[in-house]
Amino acid sequence: MAHRWGMAIDLDRCTGCEACVAACHAENNIATVNADQAAKGRTMHWIHVERYWEGEFPNIRARFQPVLCQQCDAAPCEPVCPTYASYHNPEGLNAQVYNRCIGTRYCANACPYSVRYFNWFNPAWDKPLQLQLNPDVSVREVGVMEKCTFCNQRILAAEIKAKAENRELQDGEVKPACVQSCPPTAMVFGDLNDANSQVSRMAGSVRATILLEEVGTLPKVIYLERESSHGNE
Amino acid sequence: MERRTFLNFTILSGAALALEGCGNPGTQLVRFIPEEDLVPGVAVLKPSVCAMCSAGCGIQVRVMEGEAEVVRNGQFGIVKMGLAKKLAGNPEHPVSRGKLCARGEAGLQVAYNPDRIQHPLKRSGQRGSGKFTQVSWDEAIEELLTHLRPLASAHESKSIAFLTRPQRGQRAVLIERFLSGFDGAAWVRFEFFDDGVLRKANQLSFGYEQLPTVDLGHSGYVTSFGADFLGTWNSPVAQSAGYGKMRQNRSGVRGKFVQVESRVSQTGANADEWVAAHPGTEGLLALGIAHVILKEKLAHAETAGAAGALIEGWREGLPASSPEAIAWKTGVPPETITRLAREMAARSPAVAIVGGAPLAQTNGLFTALAVNALNALLGSVGKPGGLEFTPEAPLPAAKAGRDNSGEGKSGSVRALAQQILSGQPRPVEALLLHEANPVFATPLGWRVKEALEKVPFIASFGSFLDETSRLADLILPDHSFLESWVDDVPESGTTQSVVSVAPPAMRPLYDTRSLPDVLLDLGHRLGGHISEVLPWKSYEEMLQATLAPLAHHDGSIKTKDGGEFWNKIQEQGGWWSAEATAAPKAKAAASHFNAMKYQEAEFAGSAGEYPFYFLPYASQLFYDGRHANLPWMQEIPEVLSTGMWGTWVEINPRAAATLQIEQGDLVEVASPHGKVRAPVLLSPGIAPDLIAIPVGQGHEEYGRYASGRGANPIKVLAPQVEPTTGALAWAGTRVSITKVGKGELILLSGGPTQWSQEKIAR
Repeated sequence: MAHRWGMAIDLDRCTGCEACVAACHAENNIATVNADQAAKGRTMHWIHVERYWEGEFPNIRARFQPVLCQQCDAAPCEPVCPTYASYHNPEGLNAQVYNRCIGTRYCANACPYSVRYFNWFNPAWDKPLQLQLNPDVSVREVGVMEKCTFCNQRILAAEIKAKAENRELQDGEVKPACVQSCPPTAMVFGDLNDANSQVSRMAGSVRATILLEEVGTLPKVIYLERESSHGNE
Repeated sequence: MERRTFLNFTILSGAALALEGCGNPGTQLVRFIPEEDLVPGVAVLKPSVCAMCSAGCGIQVRVMEGEAEVVRNGQFGIVKMGLAKKLAGNPEHPVSRGKLCARGEAGLQVAYNPDRIQHPLKRSGQRGSGKFTQVSWDEAIEELLTHLRPLASAHESKSIAFLTRPQRGQRAVLIERFLSGFDGAAWVRFEFFDDGVLRKANQLSFGYEQLPTVDLGHSGYVTSFGADFLGTWNSPVAQSAGYGKMRQNRSGVRGKFVQVESRVSQTGANADEWVAAHPGTEGLLALGIAHVILKEKLAHAETAGAAGALIEGWREGLPASSPEAIAWKTGVPPETITRLAREMAARSPAVAIVGGAPLAQTNGLFTALAVNALNALLGSVGKPGGLEFTPEAPLPAAKAGRDNSGEGKSGSVRALAQQILSGQPRPVEALLLHEANPVFATPLGWRVKEALEKVPFIASFGSFLDETSRLADLILPDHSFLESWVDDVPESGTTQSVVSVAPPAMRPLYDTRSLPDVLLDLGHRLGGHISEVLPWKSYEEMLQATLAPLAHHDGSIKTKDGGEFWNKIQEQGGWWSAEATAAPKAKAAASHFNAMKYQEAEFAGSAGEYPFYFLPYASQLFYDGRHANLPWMQEIPEVLSTGMWGTWVEINPRAAATLQIEQGDLVEVASPHGKVRAPVLLSPGIAPDLIAIPVGQGHEEYGRYASGRGANPIKVLAPQVEPTTGALAWAGTRVSITKVGKGELILLSGGPTQWSQEKIAR
């Protein structure tokens, strides 16, 4: 059976530490754009941590939620692409073929999660920062849309390795960069087609929810709601 | 011009340009013969030790073949070499256990930073002008020796000082032995967010002069007094791993977490219950909780042993600290105090943590002792789910190895400045400097810059020009940590005894040399005592020799054969003892220390003129400012503010409204000692009587990404200290805030949209 990759994020473990964001930058050759461009909203954080204030001082709390491409099964970004740059790959990922992309940005407009990022100019690294670039991931050019890939390069490498060793992939063998770094282990990655995988078990939790369920996008990122044991209980 | 002529013209001029490129040696790079065998496209994982903070996480460096412009034998050229591509936690390492924080991930941008110093430099302009000329290593070493030789002779009345960040492991041994060759040499270890107060308190309460390891994973109830333990304090990766387990790892048990502070920190945002206490009253609150536990006989006063005896009135049940008596001072309602005490006693194992701003007050030591006593009362010391202390490594350590506080009364940067300015007890003739940046990170009142300018000779070993190293006369640049032999002995974050060591993960890019190797070289050339205590030719040789005894201790490496042991320890990235079966008991604590009683924190500045408390807090991304030169850290939004690429002043929306200040207004924050300007961020998570600014920006000089960006809140601070330890009371200043302009740019990332706001608030 084909893999169906998914991620579970336990918001009761997430601490808002930003390790996933930094790890993603390092793994996926994400360019920094500088302060002027950032002011125009042109940063390209494939994953970012949203923060929600609740209440008023002193009864105040904040909640964190890492948001990345939700890898929807019914992805609004895919049918709108005139060049089939956004497509559904056989393992269920919302893939982006950079050299098909002509930069219409329809997909970004269609995405209800705002997790697709447009390259407004060619990325540049002050020498020798280009040495940090990961050779397994292509660098995107001006006019191209980019997004989280679930670290597809790591998935492919693990699949090739398992095939060469003539065995099945083990649960937990593939870890996207964000999952690998996550200090409190809030993020778990695995095969949703494998009922025994950790991600499948987490998806069955009573705390499991998906973002914007009412839009009907069928995401493969599952959030486990934060529990609350408030002081006055 | 016709099309044909135009084409001819462009072809010809293009060819001319290309030919010129061939003919001009300046535009050609030599291609060096590769120094290592590499398979293109195949990654190798090499162990190393993260150098981005003092936690000492073991890491794994993903190395792949690439082409780099490098300097070899003084010549620029291109070489195929193994290049670090990604950092991750070392799964075997007892501190990191395969995890890594945001700052650690950005270690790559230290090695590949475009503003790294690439070769030795000698000052050519006025001191502080930033004008340097390139010199060779031979010249640089010779120049340094002409200054060191006279000082290394016996009975010399002038001496040297070595100013570094806190150091551990064999690096600390090396520096200490090197300095033993100079009469009266001072080794000053400086870091702004220093934990010297807590180390001192732990020594007094428990007999361990070190930071605690908190077994969060097994804890039922965690109360943190101001410690940002999931962000920047102590060993954040290990503590975050424990936190995750505390929340969701035990069926049916979810530990409760209470945070006490006056501004919601990244850590506090995760609390089940967030308790706002007035700055400087956290110790009093701990006593109030202890009072209830004692009064309701939920535990006996004797349980707290030596830690309790340090608090006046402990045996009598702390009669002066009833919840009703302290409520108005702390701002915490009596019923909350009583309930917290009952919950803590009921949900064993319960643990209390203290760190950060509460200890950076004039009464900081008392606050730490009060929380320690509470911990002892809860029975959490040396128990699973409580506080433990990482066992010492079975190696000779530097005499002051554990005390890396750098804030003790002697050996502090403040004492050094006084010594330089007064010339007493002996004049400082030469200063050696490595990475510490006190000109950026000390209050103006300590006069550090003025003092350093008076030192006749300063040599810096750091990789970057910053506010302090800019004053150097000579720069002998270090390798980045990924290019160096690294070793460390973590102070906390594990209950195993750990000695981390690893060879360079990649070859150096530039004409740099590692600090330990330079010191060994200098020792040889100086001869005499120094060359006797430092007989090794290289740091590698020293590490192999000094770590060899570990082979005879039970631990992660089974072989007793010296050569095999040395190979194994490099492969693993260190040696660690087996997981402790029983936690070490508390040592007998110092008994000569008189019991202390609560005294109110003193704040610089009158409440009338300066109505706000001031909190300069450790930045999630820049820590104390050392990472402000890394573009990833600049562009990742700080999680609570979502701010990027700048500084903001946090104020409560209600307080701002009464002052008619709006989001984005440019304000001046002033104390009796200094002032800074930055735009306002209205933050609901801050007390109405508090102003907060993250530390890290406001560098005058720190490379292209940090220089001239934002404001430095440290320049507002009064030179207040905690009197016993001499540590800077960086949370003990009051400020005023005045609107000076409108419409300043404040850079926030997209931020939550309306739909997600509704979704999460369900």
